Amino acid sequence: MKKLILLMLATALLAVAYLFVSDPVDRRPAGMPDAVPVDPADLAARRGALVDQIVFTQESDPGKVTGMIETGTHHVFGQGVTSVTVFNRIRDSQQAAYDMSYGFSVELTLNPAGPELADGSLNPFHVPAIREAMNWLLDRRHVAEELYGGLAVPRYLPLNTAFPDYARLADVARALELRYQYDPARAERIITREMEKLGAERRGGQWLYQGQPVRLIVLIRTEDVRQRVGDYVANRLEDLGFRVERRYRAAAEASRLWLAGDPAGGQWHLYTGGWIATTINRDQVDQFSFYYTPRGRPEPLWQAYDPAPEFDEISERLQRRDYSTWEERQQLMARALELAMEDSARIWLVDQLSVSPRSREVELAADMAGGVSGSWLWPYTIRFRDRVGGTVVFALPGLLTEPWNPVAGSNWVFDSLIMRSLNDLPLLPDPFTGLYWPQRIESALVTVQEDVPVTRTHDWLALETAPEIRVPEDAWIAWDVEKQRFLTAGEAHPQGLTARTRTRVHYEEDYLQRRWHDGSQVSLADLVLPWILSFERASEDSPLYDPSHAPSFQVFQRHFRGWRIVSRDPLIIEIYSDQVFPDAETIVAQRTPSVQPWHVLALGVRAERTGELAFSSHQADRQRVDWLSLVAGPSLRVLDRQLEQAGGQRWLPWEGTLGGLVREGEVLARYQALATWRERRGHFWVGDGPFYLHDVYPVERTVVLRRNEHFPDPSDKWLRFTRPEIPELDLDGPLVVDAGGEAEFRLEITFQGERYPPEDIDLVQYLLFDSRGNLARRGEAEPDEAGTWVVRLSGSETAALGAGANSLEVAVTTGRVALPAFASHGFATVPERRAANGGGAD
Amino acid sequence: MHGVTGATSPVPRGLWRDIRSMLVFSAKRLLALFLTVLVGVYLTIYIANMGGQVDELRLVQIRGTVGEEVRADPAFFDLPAAERNALIEERVQLEVERLRLDQPFLLRSVDYLQQAIRLDLGRAEQMHSDSGSRQVYDIIVERLPATLLLFGTANLLVFFVSVFVALALSRRYGSPLDRAVIALAPSSAAPAWFYGIFLILIFAFLVPMLPAGGMVQVPPPEGSLAYAASVLRHMALPVLAMFLGSIFISIYSWRTFFLIHSSEDYVEMARVKGLSSGLIQRRYILRPTLSPIITSFALMLIGLWSGAIILEQVFNWPGLGTLLFQAIGHRDTPVIIGSVVIFAYLLAITVFLLDILYAVLDPRVRMEANR
Repeated sequence: MKKLILLMLATALLAVAYLFVSDPVDRRPAGMPDAVPVDPADLAARRGALVDQIVFTQESDPGKVTGMIETGTHHVFGQGVTSVTVFNRIRDSQQAAYDMSYGFSVELTLNPAGPELADGSLNPFHVPAIREAMNWLLDRRHVAEELYGGLAVPRYLPLNTAFPDYARLADVARALELRYQYDPARAERIITREMEKLGAERRGGQWLYQGQPVRLIVLIRTEDVRQRVGDYVANRLEDLGFRVERRYRAAAEASRLWLAGDPAGGQWHLYTGGWIATTINRDQVDQFSFYYTPRGRPEPLWQAYDPAPEFDEISERLQRRDYSTWEERQQLMARALELAMEDSARIWLVDQLSVSPRSREVELAADMAGGVSGSWLWPYTIRFRDRVGGTVVFALPGLLTEPWNPVAGSNWVFDSLIMRSLNDLPLLPDPFTGLYWPQRIESALVTVQEDVPVTRTHDWLALETAPEIRVPEDAWIAWDVEKQRFLTAGEAHPQGLTARTRTRVHYEEDYLQRRWHDGSQVSLADLVLPWILSFERASEDSPLYDPSHAPSFQVFQRHFRGWRIVSRDPLIIEIYSDQVFPDAETIVAQRTPSVQPWHVLALGVRAERTGELAFSSHQADRQRVDWLSLVAGPSLRVLDRQLEQAGGQRWLPWEGTLGGLVREGEVLARYQALATWRERRGHFWVGDGPFYLHDVYPVERTVVLRRNEHFPDPSDKWLRFTRPEIPELDLDGPLVVDAGGEAEFRLEITFQGERYPPEDIDLVQYLLFDSRGNLARRGEAEPDEAGTWVVRLSGSETAALGAGANSLEVAVTTGRVALPAFASHGFATVPERRAANGGGAD
Repeated sequence: MHGVTGATSPVPRGLWRDIRSMLVFSAKRLLALFLTVLVGVYLTIYIANMGGQVDELRLVQIRGTVGEEVRADPAFFDLPAAERNALIEERVQLEVERLRLDQPFLLRSVDYLQQAIRLDLGRAEQMHSDSGSRQVYDIIVERLPATLLLFGTANLLVFFVSVFVALALSRRYGSPLDRAVIALAPSSAAPAWFYGIFLILIFAFLVPMLPAGGMVQVPPPEGSLAYAASVLRHMALPVLAMFLGSIFISIYSWRTFFLIHSSEDYVEMARVKGLSSGLIQRRYILRPTLSPIITSFALMLIGLWSGAIILEQVFNWPGLGTLLFQAIGHRDTPVIIGSVVIFAYLLAITVFLLDILYAVLDPRVRMEANR
């Protein structure tokens, strides 16, 4: 017995020893080439991705990030880190690097109900002047630097500081930020005045209303740094003499009070709110309506908003895009910003920075708003700095969260991140400006009605205006479910139809010569079937009708005015719509149709018609069937059966329409290619992106992608977007200027020590503030021959400043990043020396 | 019948009496256990939904999510406010209908209960199995092997090591080893995940020999042996954490238990008779204490079902604990009920079988039941 136990112990020890000494991780896949040192000349020759394989795995603990990067087990983390402790470890690590994004904003939502609430208590925040005074009461720099440990930047306005509108209005924004900078004495003065007007009195340092202490309830979110922000705000209000009750609540409990509850019920007075943006929003004109007026949302809080008539009118005009020129829009925006600060139903505090950690040896394009998880260019840019090829291990907090299908499958942020590498879109957004670049199209022509303000930035597209845009009679505008054919604009609108925009898209010459991952060739049917499917799913007469699709489709129909194939070779398509975006690039991106493999969708169509699977979650629950997944689970068995039957029948859905869009023998070839693909790869996800889905391990939470060697683009196509080129400013000039004398200030704009290309600098604006903080002058700096930007002040301008300490603020906006850069220089104006000297001598 | 049997032979009459006693006893126990399960499951349903208050939270959550989805979608950016709000309302309504939030909670709770009692686990409301199924059965069954493997290994290891070490220690009462175990017993006050964090720090980061988490390396090896070896490597730290977290208190408890039984008169008598210590251990200590040992073992086995939420989170282990954690986060009532009802049934069946076992082994139990 003892011998047996000893033998077992020895075996166990040997096994443990083996586990400890064996190679911790060997990720090089069998049959894959070794990574080779990078040679810039070879980059352009290589096609597709710069790494051979990407392995996605689940890791939800940000605390392990640095350790995992340092031990080399993981290279990229898709989740943004907001913990200062973790950030400090990443920053101090020799092996770790990171990218910053700006998509989360923190504000104080103030309860506007009152002045008396349901229980008869006083709500001071009913008064706009008290709300406005909160701007002076709170030190945003303290919040950003102390509470957020530097992982935030102060924010004053309802515009995200990293988005284009903030840069476009940088001069206005800067002036407002200086006007509302921290001034607690002023805040106290105003609050005291207004409280007394309300009938309150301050006795023994305590505010009383009708003999009772004025009680304020601060609803504080507990999940993040907002807990400390809430405490800070509560402390400041206590200092002013309010009795403060702190209610600490997590998201759901807090929402019940501030979002769903009646603000007049008196359950809260201030709430530490937060708003997220996962992509760069290039047009923030509707911010005012959303955040400050009852039009924002139907909930009781919004219905309690009572903006000043001028603010309400401007907000509504902006939301309706009721302006005819860009200048008019900017004027409205500038005024709305001022009025928003006077209203202050929300006190914007900071834009929180989120850190996307990665290994120092890996680079990829991270989005300025959404970080790595929001980036569209990551699959095209991910690489090892010192070698080509290799395997990157990518950690995500969750993956395969919901079933994957391209019609109405999982839209979880981390699932979407993976899917973006499997499909190749016609246009891709710039991660630093949000403007679109062509990927699979050569050019586009956007025609807009004359009264529609649209701008163009890039030269890959053209923009023109027309007094009227008529929709051609042969454009497809609807789908007849019964006859299974498109209805033309001529049939649906015999009296004629007009649209506000026409977008003519020229696809790349070989767009239809490309191949899907399963080897089958792309065809026009791949472009048209998704349209038919969308119409079918919205029609109650169709067996594919899905009530959850209908509301969105109805919105689409409001602005859709038809589309047509102008030419098949080369492929040119025209789309007519009433929906207008301020950037012509965005119009093209929103209108351009992309392809989806019709033979894969066809299996889903068959499965939904036979009541075995459903494309959407809602439909799956309604029919009590499985939600269609192309990559794993019980759906695969159903799809196998459908593939066998469809292949046997050479089945082409909506044959009357699609029959003329497929090549000879394509139907059978497609199903054969898909059957082979399914057999080799074990799933049905077929794409055309730079990576293909190689393996899926659902329980192990692992997804393996491999490089698509047949991808048409050179590997270095998008590498210029790896790093955001945020300008670095160095403003220099005299510290003392004679009032009445000329002065010159020089601004160096660089990036990583190199001069910033002047052609990429949009605007260098300056604001001059006098010693009382008043805006004395604004203007634009001018470049000199050496590439330095110069601000020149004339004698009369310096004389107008008077004697005292002044401040010159410079804002630089570029075409490369949406984020503006600021610099300031303080200088003193003194009475003219000659006069002063003379006076002294006399 | 009774008289006839009694007239022919006293032995069958005793057997019949025993069978009848057993049947009555079993019926009573079954009824009691069924009622316990019924009450337990309904309480779970009630608590998981906070007596229906969760509906309100979910409604707010749905509104918030739908509102933000519509706002973030560029396709809707130019919708007039009224139309946008109507769109939000329409989408909210669809979700409300899908989740049956338009029906009173009491009605739904009875539905949940009768389905649960019939072991019809139904469909999850929010969650999916890893491979994409919405059936609660699939969701649970998919995670079961990982939990059984990890917790089965650790708990069996702890159980057998502690029983055998305790038995040995009970013979060496007061020895340095015995005193060391007593001294270390309070270390089990810290949970396994607490040790896990330190083990990860040491063995995954400071001296990187073992993986910091996960069930298998990424990507998973293709061969079965390599896969098994990789799973073993990934199990090493969590098993060690669980082992460290409970071994000393477990040894201490069993040691005390065996010590008490070692001082029984019949054991002393055996010693006086000069029987070998191995024989005394097997026949006079282990055999009479078998019932509590089996009870403890059986309860340990069904305890595997629940997994361990924090430990699985720390080691990123795809088990039932993580699943329950996610289900609570999603407020996915069917999954929560599914996990609990299976546990309740397993517990009830185990208790019932143990009761039967006790009744078979100990006539006093049967007699007690018949009174």
